[in-house]
Parts: sequence; structure tokens; C-alpha cells
Amino acid sequence: MEKMTRVSGTVSGCTMFCHLDAPANAISVCRDATQVVVAGRNIFKIYGLEEDGFVERLNLRVGRKPSLNFSCADVMWHQMEENLLATAATNGAVVTWNLARPCRNKQEQLFTEHKRTVNKVCFHPTEVNMLLSGSQDGFMKCFDLRKKESVSTFSGQSESVRDVQFSIKDYFTFAASFENGNVQLWDIRRPDRYERMFTAHTGPVFCCDWHPEDRGWLATGGRDKMVKVWDMSTNRVKEIYCVQTIASVARVKWRPERRYHLATCSMMVDHNIYVWDVRRPFIPFATFEEHKDVTTGIVWRHQHDPYFLLSGSKDSTLYQHMFKDASRPVDRANPEGLCFGLFGDLAFAAKESLMSAPQSVGDVGRKTYPGGDRRYPIFFFKKPDVTEQFAQVSSALSVFESEAGSSVGMDWFINTAQSYLLSGKPFAELCEHNAQVAKRLNRPQESTTWTMLRIMFSEPANPSLSSNHNLNKSGNLPLVNSVAFDHKTFTFTLFLAARKSLQTVYEDVFLCAENEETEGSEGQAEYLFGDAELDDDDLYSMEHDNQAEEPEYLLPQEAFPLRHEIMDHPSAPEPVQEKPESPHVSGSEAESTCLTPMESFSLISVSQLLFSPHLPPKFFCPIVKEMLCYYAEQGDVQMAVSVLIVLGDRIRKEIDELTQEHWYMSYIDLLQRFELWNVSNEVIKLSTCGAIMCLNQTSTTLHINCSNCKRPMSNKGWICDRCHQCASVCAVCHHVVKGLFVWCQGCSHGGHLEHVMEWLKQSKHCPAGCGHLCEYT
Amino acid sequence: NSIVWSCVFQVSVINTVDTSHEDMIHDAQMDYYGTRLATCSSDRSVKIFDVKNGGQILVADLRGHEGPVWQVAWAHPMYGNILASCSYDRKVIIWKEENGTWDKMYEYTGHDSSVNSVCWGPYDFGLFLACGSSDGAISVLTCSGDGHWDIKKINNAHTIGCNAVSWAPAVVPGSLIEQPTGQKPNYIKRFVSGGCDNLVKLWKEEDGQWKEDQKLEAHSDWVRDVGWAPSIGLPTSTIASCSRDGRVFIWTCDDPAGNTWTAKLLHKFNDAVWHVSWSITGKILAVSGGDNKVTLWKESVDGQWACISDVNKGQGAVTSITDSQQNEQ
Repeated sequence: MEKMTRVSGTVSGCTMFCHLDAPANAISVCRDATQVVVAGRNIFKIYGLEEDGFVERLNLRVGRKPSLNFSCADVMWHQMEENLLATAATNGAVVTWNLARPCRNKQEQLFTEHKRTVNKVCFHPTEVNMLLSGSQDGFMKCFDLRKKESVSTFSGQSESVRDVQFSIKDYFTFAASFENGNVQLWDIRRPDRYERMFTAHTGPVFCCDWHPEDRGWLATGGRDKMVKVWDMSTNRVKEIYCVQTIASVARVKWRPERRYHLATCSMMVDHNIYVWDVRRPFIPFATFEEHKDVTTGIVWRHQHDPYFLLSGSKDSTLYQHMFKDASRPVDRANPEGLCFGLFGDLAFAAKESLMSAPQSVGDVGRKTYPGGDRRYPIFFFKKPDVTEQFAQVSSALSVFESEAGSSVGMDWFINTAQSYLLSGKPFAELCEHNAQVAKRLNRPQESTTWTMLRIMFSEPANPSLSSNHNLNKSGNLPLVNSVAFDHKTFTFTLFLAARKSLQTVYEDVFLCAENEETEGSEGQAEYLFGDAELDDDDLYSMEHDNQAEEPEYLLPQEAFPLRHEIMDHPSAPEPVQEKPESPHVSGSEAESTCLTPMESFSLISVSQLLFSPHLPPKFFCPIVKEMLCYYAEQGDVQMAVSVLIVLGDRIRKEIDELTQEHWYMSYIDLLQRFELWNVSNEVIKLSTCGAIMCLNQTSTTLHINCSNCKRPMSNKGWICDRCHQCASVCAVCHHVVKGLFVWCQGCSHGGHLEHVMEWLKQSKHCPAGCGHLCEYT
Repeated sequence: NSIVWSCVFQVSVINTVDTSHEDMIHDAQMDYYGTRLATCSSDRSVKIFDVKNGGQILVADLRGHEGPVWQVAWAHPMYGNILASCSYDRKVIIWKEENGTWDKMYEYTGHDSSVNSVCWGPYDFGLFLACGSSDGAISVLTCSGDGHWDIKKINNAHTIGCNAVSWAPAVVPGSLIEQPTGQKPNYIKRFVSGGCDNLVKLWKEEDGQWKEDQKLEAHSDWVRDVGWAPSIGLPTSTIASCSRDGRVFIWTCDDPAGNTWTAKLLHKFNDAVWHVSWSITGKILAVSGGDNKVTLWKESVDGQWACISDVNKGQGAVTSITDSQQNEQ
């Protein structure tokens, strides 16, 4: 406790580094955390840790030609004797150094008992004179620093020793890790055999580290890229945690004051230092990414301070890392996944601690909305749990389905695609059908559009009659094409129609008009549509004048005197002549523009009389085009394409090819995503764009056999290039088949469809007499 | 009298998928037909679920990454069932299903740091993939058909790292207006990326080389996700970007040459925004933020983006989450 308080007062500094002359192999700090020793093949120096940098204090590598004893694989600073250091030399020597020696050469003792590189030296944590070494030669030796030779030798009977570590709590115990994957526990009093042994890793175990507090915990790291934490306190050694790192683990060091944290570095590929929380073995808690080459030595600066980490590297630098400067991979990680599904559903994954909020809140969040007022918004919100820890993280994945009928969903798309009729019936019927479909699917806007299209583009039944000004009186003629209006107003209202879905009224108007006309009533009808912008609820007020018996057309305001001329020149009605540039003769236009502001009314008049049947459809084209573009812009290419197909030549030339192609492509793409292959095929067939039509022909291959020699036909024609006979002879009538040729894929014989069908009624065998039981699919 | 534009959307939870992932899930992606869901997690695994008819059956558990898997992406089904995943282990793995079993088809190890994002390009151009990495580079991998992959790497695309990539749809914006009729527009491969330099960048391929086309500046913190909207019936290009600064921008370009991009702030959230995702028609944008909520947005008639889902007033203020790592330290 006393120590800790002192620590927080004394250890301070920042992230800093210094260049070394040579790559470092190992580093070690003295007990009071003020100095660090760096050892390597060509370096052996002591640096002072100042507030703002490293200061070289001592170069232990002395002499003109330093002996191999200076070539260090490992170094350790004695934790009790602050002048005492030990190094493991690559030549097999174990050397101790006494900084208190007055001469330049600080070498104190030299043990040359190991035959090969010594990988590790370790002072006993409490016994001042005890030193342990582990070597490539497979032996561990225990030295008493007061004696010239080792006091005991431990033979692992395994392969090379990679690490030896005295237990911090058990006076007599040390752990050794081996290149063959084993870890052994020894009692220093019993050099004859190990106390326990277990296989910790596949491949070499490069390092091990006892937990500073939990006496039974040993962390091991291996070439198999794993760090494992073992509980040694039980009879059977138990693996309690396993962390998978990205590269082989060269060093492992428990983090002071943090029970579950440990730092690792790798021996190749990866230059970073990772700090893991063993409870969360997948993602590092923190990383230090400063080194440019392999990190060879890591050590926590003070045994009670978790914020300072020192590291040496092959890149010849010595770093002090501050924990606050570490990068946190979790910060970069996306805690949420989100995906808009095909059907308007949403997959949303988020941290569990956030998702599973207090139960009641979560439940409310889920249940109230979907069932509640539709006006209320969707919202997926879970209250965060502030007690969440780094270690305990999991995610919940929810799929939110769009509610039926909402625009987020795509049900409408599928239903519409399947129900629309695009061909095979007269135009008006197609429109009517599609209008009904849209209506049924609760899409009034589209429904009205179809209805309007029908009205606008339907061909009059008998054009010759249309110039007959007695038309309206004859009563039983189909009179459809009869919408007259002020151009601007109509455009305006049409757009309102497109945008505001108030079409039921509109539709009624037209239906009404049409019914009337077909019923044979006198048909002069005039409709006044309320200005939509002025009245939201009742956009169109309609006045229906059924009184006028004469063909003469009268407006309530007597505003259109010119229209009387229609009676005088029935073959060339005025408004028609003016269209489409200016739909009104000047006088009436003036009048109507006057009227609109005055009465707050726009005018649409419907009268069969005013139009010749030939021109109006053309007149609508720009508007329809704009409407289609509008739909497309809203993402409803379905509508755009369907209308395009149904209208066919009526509109096709108005819209440039590429736009059409784009619409088609988009629509076909969507259809295929929804696996609506039939609809997609129909659309492709009905399209008028070359690029679209050829979609059906690509990637279709027919493999055919000659019906005579039964070998595959290679050339394009119907003459087999092997037997030189025409392959497409009908097996029934023996004539060459022109047109539909059907053949059995088993025996290659076939013929005219009707002949083969006829034949198959009598016999199941091939009509060619080859004896094959033909199957036609 | 409801008006189409204010039509209210409703979404409900159909199921909570039990992924049995052992750590955080970082991404969930539905396939082209909407029948399968791929998830990836810190636990190094990628899982594939069959979600047909509201069910959720685990069909594959892909192991191969050695670090957290950040993102997954489905390729277009015309190339088979192919899934790409990218990970903290600096690898991109392309998985392929053959005869019901998933196997590694290709493993790309060309990045020096965590690979954060993968995205398949429009199928019209072939089978190719963009990968954005924390090493600041973006790689474009193109399958040459014989199992070989061509690599093109854009080094230093974003300093400190690239967080997200997203391809432009196959349609060239403006081609519908500009091109003379009958001439097939010359498709240009383009994608957008977002990075730790707070920038959104547009890239295009010219003569087989990738070039920076545009640099869009608006965010004041890391850009976490970018999404190029599907272009359905629209000649304009739209990109959504979101950032740790809590802002979501909608970038649009009406200019056929693709040079003028205008930013419109969709919303400023109180917390970091992690994801943006477009609906398949490109008209609705789903946004998920650090405060763990998903909101849906739609452009209204006047060109403003409106939230078609709104905060539940009953639930009180949104508490922002800060990872308890500060305390952990």
C-alpha cells in the first residue's frame, strides 16, 4: 500500500523514445523504475528515465573488442539489489554485473556451464543470491551468486528451454517453457525431476509469466499465436483463458494492478504491442503501434503502475508507452451493424449491453409501437447500460420487418408486378385493370394515374364520327376523349395528382364524365376544380352542369364567347387548332387567367365537343413524360416502365432511349432480385429497347443433336456437317420443319409440334421408329 | 387526409436472431435476394443465417480470420454464392459456397493494418471488390476468371486509415442526359471512401489506374460509413456519409461530369453515427448511431430530408454512451 502511494507520486512522464545504436534483444527495469537496461547482440546500456526523455547513464559494453559474453539474449535487473544485473549470452554464458564496481568493467561473475545460447535468466524474487537460467541446450541451472558454479542443474528432458520464471508466491517453485510445447513446474530443491508437466501449446512455448497476484495463474505464449492462462492451483492444470493473437507470441507480461490484463508482443511479422483483457480474447484492449520492427522486449515500468510500458525493438529504439496514448481497436470497431434488406426489412446488430436495457423499457420499446398508433414512428431504441465493461460484450441482432402496407416494405412492388397486365388486351382495358390493381393495393395515386391515362389516350371508336357535331346528341357512341382545359391548370392539377394522392376525387370526376358521356346524356359538362393549394381537404370542388341541351357551350361566367364558333365550324374546332402551343384562343385565355385569381378557381372543362380525337393524346405526352420521370425519380420505376409498356408507341418517342433503357434495366434488376422471373421476362419481351430485348438472348445456349447420326450439331444451320442431311425433318410427315420444331432430347427425333402431339396420343414411342420412349417436357 | 409524403412507416421486430457470436457483432448483411443474412463478429467468425420466411437457421460458420471481423459483403449471385470478409488480422477472405459448403476462394493479405471495409462493385463490370484499410490504402481486387485476382492498390488514400468504401451503381449519372441517343454510355468504375482524415473521397478508374476524383470536405471527425445510393430511375448521384462528429451528410451531384457535389446536412446527432444504409430503391436511408437507435429518413418534396421515424418522447432523454474504457484504464 505504501509502495503504491509512492508510485503514483514518483512515476511520471510521457510517451517517449530514444534511438539505440543497435537492435535490442531484451530490456529490464530497476526496482524503483528510474532506470532501464537494454541488452542486445551489440548493445548493453543503461538509460535513465527522465520526465521527458531517456538519458544514457552507462555503457556496460567496454573494451576494444568486447567478448561474446556481451552478446546478450536476455537481461534482468535484480529487484532487490539495485546494483545487480544478470545477462544471458548467446555463447552460453551467464554473466552477472555489479554496477557498484569502481572500474569500467562491471562484470562480476561468469558462468559458462551452458553449451548453447542461454535464452533466459531470472533472479529469485526474494532470495537475493539465487539466479536461474534456461538454455537452448535443454538445461536449467540454478546459481548461488556467492559460489563460482551452479548449485543445481535441471534437465527438462524436453527440447530447448525458452523461458524460466520463479513463482512470485511459491518460494521453491519455478516454471519453465520448452520448444516442444511443454511447460514444466519444478521445485528448486528437487533437481531430479519436475513436479508437473503439461503440454501448453502446439509448437514452441516462447514465454511464460506468473500472475503477480493470483498465485496459481501462469500465462504462456507460443508460436501457435495463442496466449493461455493456466490455473496451477488445482490438481489438474486447467486452461482458464485463451487469447488468440495475430502472430506468434514472443513475450507476455501481466499488467500491474489489472487482474485480467496482459501485454504481448510478437517475434515476427507483427511489430505492435498488444494489451489484452483475457476475458475478451478476440480483440486487444489496447495496442502500441510505434515500433517499426519486431518488438523484442516489453516490461511494465513499475510493478505497481499499470500506465507505463517500456519496450525495446529490433528497430533500435527504446520506447516508453503511455497507456493514455495507446490506440484502442475497439474504438475503431463498429459496434453496430445495419443493413436494409430487400423487402424493406432492417437487420440491426448492436451491443447487447445496450440492446437489452432494463426489461421494462425494452419491452415497451418493442411492443407499444408496432401495435400502437400508426402515426407514431418506428424507433428502435434501447437504453444504454452504463455499467458495461470492456470485457463483457456481446451483440444482439434483430431483424425489423416493415409493417404491411408501409412504404418501407416492398410487398406492394411484388404484388403490383404480379398483378399488372402489360399486354394482351385493348389499351383501355389494360389501364382499367391496372387501375383496379393499384386501387386494391391501396395505391390511389397510381390507380388514378392509370385511369387518367386511359381517358387521355383511349382511341375514339369511330374517328369519322368525331367530326360530327351531332355526336353528343346521338348518345350511344363511346365518347371518351373529351377533356378540355386550360393547359396550365391541367398541368398543375396533374402534378398535384401525382404528388398528393387526392385522386379519388379526381377519378370520380373523370369517371363521372365518362359515364355520362357513354350514357348518352347531353354531355356538356363543365367542371370547376378548386385550387388545391387553397383547400387541402377538399381539393376539387366540382360543379356539374347537366342542363345545357344545346351543343353550344356556356360557361357560368359567360367567359368564352368564341366557343360559339365551334358550332359554326364543327369540322375545325377552335381549341384544337390552338393546341398544343396555346390551348386557348386569346380571348378565352385572357378571361380564364382573370378568373382564376378572382374566383380562386381553376378551370377544367370537360366536353366532348371541343376536341378532335386525333390531337389530344399528343398533347398529353409532355405531361405524361414528366409524370413518368417523376415516378422514376421517386424510385418507382415499376410505374414508369409499366406505363411505358402499356402506352407503347403513344409515348415511346417522347422519352429518350437511354432513359427508357435505364428504367427498364432498373426495373428488370429489381424484378430479378425479387425472383419474379416471369414478370421480368415479360417486361424484357415487351420492351422496345434493343439493348433490353437482347437480354433474353444472351446466355441462352441450345445444344442440338442431328436426328440422323445423333451426334452434336456444331454448325449453325440445320444441315448436319457429318451426315450432310437436314436434321430438322419431321419424323411424322417427313417434311422439313419450318417454324416450331419440337424434339425429344433423348433420341433427337422430333417434328412439327402438332404432328408430334398427335402422335403421342397414340404411342409413347418415338415416331421415327427408333424405339425410344420419348419424353417431351 | 393523409398525403403520400407524410405516409407513416412502421417497422416491427419480427425476430431477434440468436447468433451465438461470442463477442460484439460488427456487421450484418443480407444477400441479394434477401434470404440470407451474414454476420461477423469480434470472435473471428462469420456466420450465415437462412432468414427465409422469418426463420433463422445457421447455415454456415466461417472460421479463418485471426482477428475481429469488421465487415462482410455479398457478391452478386450471378457469380455464385460469394461472400467477402475483412478483419483486424489484415486479411480479406473471399468465401465461396460450392455444393453446400463454404470454402476460402481467395485470401488477400496485401494490407499492413486492419482492413475495415469491403464492398463488391456493380456486377455489370465483373467480379471485383474494394477494400479499405487502416493503413490508409484502398485495394481493388478484380477476379480475372481463372481464380486469379488482379490487385490494384491506392496507397495513402486516407491518412490514418480508410473506414468505408462503397461503389457507385453501374449507371453513369448524367449519361441519360448527355449522351447522344443510341450511343452506349461508357461506364466508368467509381467508388466513394471515407476515412480518418475526416474526408469523403471519390475515386474513378482511368486507363486502368485509380485516381482521386473528388475530395468532399464537411465532416469534422472520422468518417465512419459512406453509402452510394442505388440509382433507380434517377440520373443523379447520391452519397450518404456519416461521421463520429454525429453528422450525416447527403451528397448529390446533378452535374453530368460529376464535378460539382453539394452537401446537405441530413441531421446532427448527439453521438457518433456508425452506419448508413440505403433501401434498394435508394429512397430511404437508415442511419444507426452510437446511441443505439435506428432512424429512417426520406427526402421530402422540398428537398429536405425528414425523419420518417421519430424519437419516442416517452422514453426520456437519450443518454450517450461512452465506453467505460476511461475507467478501465
